[in-house]
Amino acid sequence: MPPNCAAVARLLLRPSTATATATSCPLRAIRAASTLVRPPTSASPQTTPRSLSQSHPRPYHSTTHPPPPSPFTPTESAILSASYAHVPTHGFTPSSLALGARAAGYLDISTSIFPEGAFSLIKWHLYTQRTALAGKKDSIAGFESMSLTERVEALTWERLMGNGEVVGRWQEALAIMAQPTYVFASVKELAELADEIWYLAGDVSVDPTWYTKRASLSAIYAASELFMTNDRSPDFSETWHFLRRRLAEAGEIGDATRSVREWLSFTASAGVNVLRSKGVPI
Amino acid sequence: MVARPVLLRRAVRSALRPSAKKSITRSFSSTAARLAPNNTPDYAVPDPARATHFGFETVTEAEKRERVAGVFTSVAESYDRMNDFMSFGWHRIWKDHFVASLNPGFSPLTDGPDPRAPQHILDIAGGTGDIAFRMLHTAHVVNNNPDVRVTISDINPAMLTVGKQRSAALPASQQAALTFVEANAEDLTKTTPLSTNLSIPNPNPTAAILSNSVDLYTVAFGIRNFSNIPAALREAHRVLKPGGVFACLEFSKVDKHPLFNTVYKEWSFRAIPLIGQLIAGDRDSYQYLVESIERFPSQEDFRDMIVDAGFVVGGCGYEDLTGGVAAIHKGMKPRQ
Repeated sequence: MPPNCAAVARLLLRPSTATATATSCPLRAIRAASTLVRPPTSASPQTTPRSLSQSHPRPYHSTTHPPPPSPFTPTESAILSASYAHVPTHGFTPSSLALGARAAGYLDISTSIFPEGAFSLIKWHLYTQRTALAGKKDSIAGFESMSLTERVEALTWERLMGNGEVVGRWQEALAIMAQPTYVFASVKELAELADEIWYLAGDVSVDPTWYTKRASLSAIYAASELFMTNDRSPDFSETWHFLRRRLAEAGEIGDATRSVREWLSFTASAGVNVLRSKGVPI
Repeated sequence: MVARPVLLRRAVRSALRPSAKKSITRSFSSTAARLAPNNTPDYAVPDPARATHFGFETVTEAEKRERVAGVFTSVAESYDRMNDFMSFGWHRIWKDHFVASLNPGFSPLTDGPDPRAPQHILDIAGGTGDIAFRMLHTAHVVNNNPDVRVTISDINPAMLTVGKQRSAALPASQQAALTFVEANAEDLTKTTPLSTNLSIPNPNPTAAILSNSVDLYTVAFGIRNFSNIPAALREAHRVLKPGGVFACLEFSKVDKHPLFNTVYKEWSFRAIPLIGQLIAGDRDSYQYLVESIERFPSQEDFRDMIVDAGFVVGGCGYEDLTGGVAAIHKGMKPRQ
């Protein structure tokens, strides 16, 4: 967007814009700022389903924009929420979809309007569990007094417990999600989950750790989720220990990289100063 | 910057067709009221004198109906062979995918009495039976559900006769589930069973295809030949049960892939009429075929027409096949 660059640069220099996007990633902040230049569109995200609005929802959180619309139309939601009740018994399958359609007052054939078939049901699970996190945050005891890492741990655990009801069917779901057709949508959903957790935990970083935090949490969450599908311990206590170990390791790696970086920058500047003191024109 | 052309196109469209605009964001509950007969917009009422297009020519709706009938009477015999030549046999893949994605006859069993209701599939413009035979195979053999019957409807008795002859190769149980009727898709209240002797038209029109009687309405490579597509979509809405599905397989636009589009356009406009001349001895009919593909609305525009007729769509409302050479559109009639 070359014509907008100057405007973006001007906006970025203004403090109000910088704070408005403080919770977003640095590169996205530039894009968000550029959207402020444009006039608001007339389409209301509340009444226009995604399928007809052609909009591209923001993949990050913003305090200055309305939340993105649901990716499901009301009819889809009605069938999918009824189908979801059949997942523990019938799995993420066309059978669950058809039974749900019947329960919602539709026909068996009605489920053929879902372009992705059973994967729609998986997407429904991922979407509803992710958006439910914001509500669950308030029910976590002592959330406000926790440190950032403790909050991330608590929220990740809440999300893992969201899989509890369908955990017997979750390996099937992971197999479907790993199909080449659906990999992109699945990874995108994982990235949005990691972003959601860091956002709800109150992370406001606008440096490169925005990316590393989300990448490491995505990896930890995916590993814990896989571990949980084979966990037979009461209340998934093994998964709980597994999650804590992985988060602790990530913290250690983060500390180690910080130390290495500090040592490198100190040694480099010291080296430059030694050379300067010897008269080298640096 | 992607949004601008889309908005521009939508603005132009809505300016051209103001009455259609309001229905695009219809809410689930308001559908019934919008579709009361007195609310049918003018463009969805068939009018033999109204201008429409026949390939790149402009003709009246009545004239288009006659000329399309002429085209398909002349190509009926060589229809399947030509399809193979023109698409390198790929149309079979599209049709298989289309039927598999609809999965007719699929109906999970539950505890207690058999919950499966009989399914009625209406295959419009299905003359040669390509789609109908696949539907029956999926329902009866793959899904083991014999309670599925298919009505093949076509405006052209020549095409129906080809389908009738081909159906003789099917198992008897599947033949028994087939009905052939001659009907105009814009008005399914008048249907005529296929006469065995073409020279003596069947004088006894049967009962109409009733409102709310069809589970699945399919039309494959047929809807672009209709004189009045909005009227046909509304007729589909009428005959479908609430929850019933409208499914359409049709040639579409390859605009998303410019390079492939160039090759595809060259093939359609240069090779296909030539193949038609060599294989079927009929250049004009195949010239019409490629022109009618060119004139058919884009994926998004046709999706909006489906929504405008009162259907709800899932996801983006369509699925591109082979980069958009063909596209599957599906819509569901909402509950009242």
